[in-house]
Amino acid sequence: MSADLNAPAHLTDAPEAPIWAGVPTPREPVSPEALAAPAAVAHASDRGARIAAVVIALAWHVAIALPAVLAARAEFAAPAVVLGAWILVAVTGAVAGVRLLLGSPLPPWPLAVLLLVVDAAVFAAAGDRQLFTAANWVWGTLGWFFVLAVWGQRVVGLIALLSTHALIALVAVLGHGADPADVARYVMYVYGTFSLPVAVFVGSAVIVGLARERAGVSAAGHAMAAERDAAERGRQERRDRLTLVSSAAGRVLGDLAAGQADPGDPEVQRRCMLAAARLRRLIAESDDVPDPLLHELRAAADLAERSGLPIDLVTIGTPPPLPVEIRRRLADPLTGTLADARGWARLTVVSGPDEVVVSLVTPDREGPEATGPPPGERDDGPVQYLYERDGNIRWAQTRWRR
Amino acid sequence: MGADPMAAVSGDQPVGVAIVDDHPVVVEGVRAWLATEPRLTVLATGDDPDEVLRSAPDAAVVLLDLRLHGRMALDKLAELSAAGRRVVVYSEHTDPQTMLAALDAGAVAFLAKHEGREHCVETVLAAASDRPYVPPALAGAMVGDPRPDRPMLSDKEREALLLWFQSMSKASVARRMQISEHTVKQYVDRARIKYTRAGRPAATKAALLARAIEDGLVRPEEIGIYRSQATHDRPTP
Repeated sequence: MSADLNAPAHLTDAPEAPIWAGVPTPREPVSPEALAAPAAVAHASDRGARIAAVVIALAWHVAIALPAVLAARAEFAAPAVVLGAWILVAVTGAVAGVRLLLGSPLPPWPLAVLLLVVDAAVFAAAGDRQLFTAANWVWGTLGWFFVLAVWGQRVVGLIALLSTHALIALVAVLGHGADPADVARYVMYVYGTFSLPVAVFVGSAVIVGLARERAGVSAAGHAMAAERDAAERGRQERRDRLTLVSSAAGRVLGDLAAGQADPGDPEVQRRCMLAAARLRRLIAESDDVPDPLLHELRAAADLAERSGLPIDLVTIGTPPPLPVEIRRRLADPLTGTLADARGWARLTVVSGPDEVVVSLVTPDREGPEATGPPPGERDDGPVQYLYERDGNIRWAQTRWRR
Repeated sequence: MGADPMAAVSGDQPVGVAIVDDHPVVVEGVRAWLATEPRLTVLATGDDPDEVLRSAPDAAVVLLDLRLHGRMALDKLAELSAAGRRVVVYSEHTDPQTMLAALDAGAVAFLAKHEGREHCVETVLAAASDRPYVPPALAGAMVGDPRPDRPMLSDKEREALLLWFQSMSKASVARRMQISEHTVKQYVDRARIKYTRAGRPAATKAALLARAIEDGLVRPEEIGIYRSQATHDRPTP
């Protein structure tokens, strides 16, 4: 069984919310958020297990082993070794625990070797009479420090350490002249020291795995639901537009076919032009990239078109994600001019990673602007605005440069 | 085919045009557009490029609908261009990728179907003399070309393309850039010529480039600075 508990740190930090967070971002198969969520849940779950393991190890070492060691210090074969080893493990264990909780554990195998050396030394120094008492603290405590040392490694590492520990103990028991009762006690102790640390180690790994899986399933479910909603909305919008367009184009075609409309009549030509512009836009809008800037411009174009203005909206490239303020400065001056437009309008958006240029061209005519800003050129922060009339066209342009 | 499709178009004879489209109503519409221009004459029409060119081997320009019988005829376009046919692609598919792919395949020009009579006539006349003509939709595709190996355009060329795409009026672009209309056209055409080195080589591209050098529009050394891996380019005449 593999128990990979190392939640990769770079996935666990929640990504910083981008400044355009309030804006629906273009859809991707799997968003970074969807990937990060399960990792974050797994990380939270793993952190709980780490805290539990550190607390168990240190509490056992201090609350149970220390009083026993102090009470029996006169009876050890070499009290200084047992006590010194206790202090060494206490300090090392505390450092290992803190580092583990901070996410930068000490190197596992040097730590494990140190613990095994301590193990052998304490067994040798404990002496006959304290071999199976609580004062021989390596029995009860060391298994938990092994858990801290090899946290995040495979479980076989822990089993190997505990087995070595059992072997050292066996040598010590036999070396001290074991009788059958000691061997039975030894088996009991080994079972005790094995079972709990292994259970905690494996249990936490399984819980983390389950949490990660469940969070992943739930995130995927949410992403799918969001995708379905967006697709459904896009489909509905397109169907609405199609209905609008079919009715417009259908009526004028029907009139022409029935001979009720005269192709030479300027009004009929205008209706044809309008229907054609609508059809063209419907075709162009089949790309369902929900880009907010294009969405806003389309909405303005729709509005102008409903009041009878044939409008061409041509987009080249996909705008990079822009803060709402920039989008407003790009779109607003043009929508004002658009409301004032007569005859026809050409709205274009050219986008690259570092530049977005929006332009509106309509035929020029006498009279001042009713709604749009006056002609001229000005810089509005990172967005440049240009508007001019040359007797032929009215030309408004906004340009954002990174 | 005994005729040489690359033969220079003489000044007196009208330019022979072949129209390939699978919609008869479009064929009739384009024929009507071209009929208003005495320097052009439609020699053959049909929905199969090979058949049309068999019946009009002398056609100087082929107007090709890119979508024939439901599929994109990019391969056919490349084949015709490699053989030196001046193909003007016209299509309702005006997404930039399609337009740039048509240029790469060797099309002399790309015309969006909605761009109308004037651009259509201009494009065909320019094509017949191996001169570039960039209608606004194509200018948009070139200015927004996101490909990493795209030709390197100068700032003025980019700006001229962008403004031409936006306004569809060279006079307005000239006023905006404070240069003459002629210079606007030069910037736009120079940008187009730089595209003759993109994609696979074709006789039509070599002809465009040769004429541009002859006309003094570009110098040979100006082309090719943007593309180091010129191994599969044939030497320009």
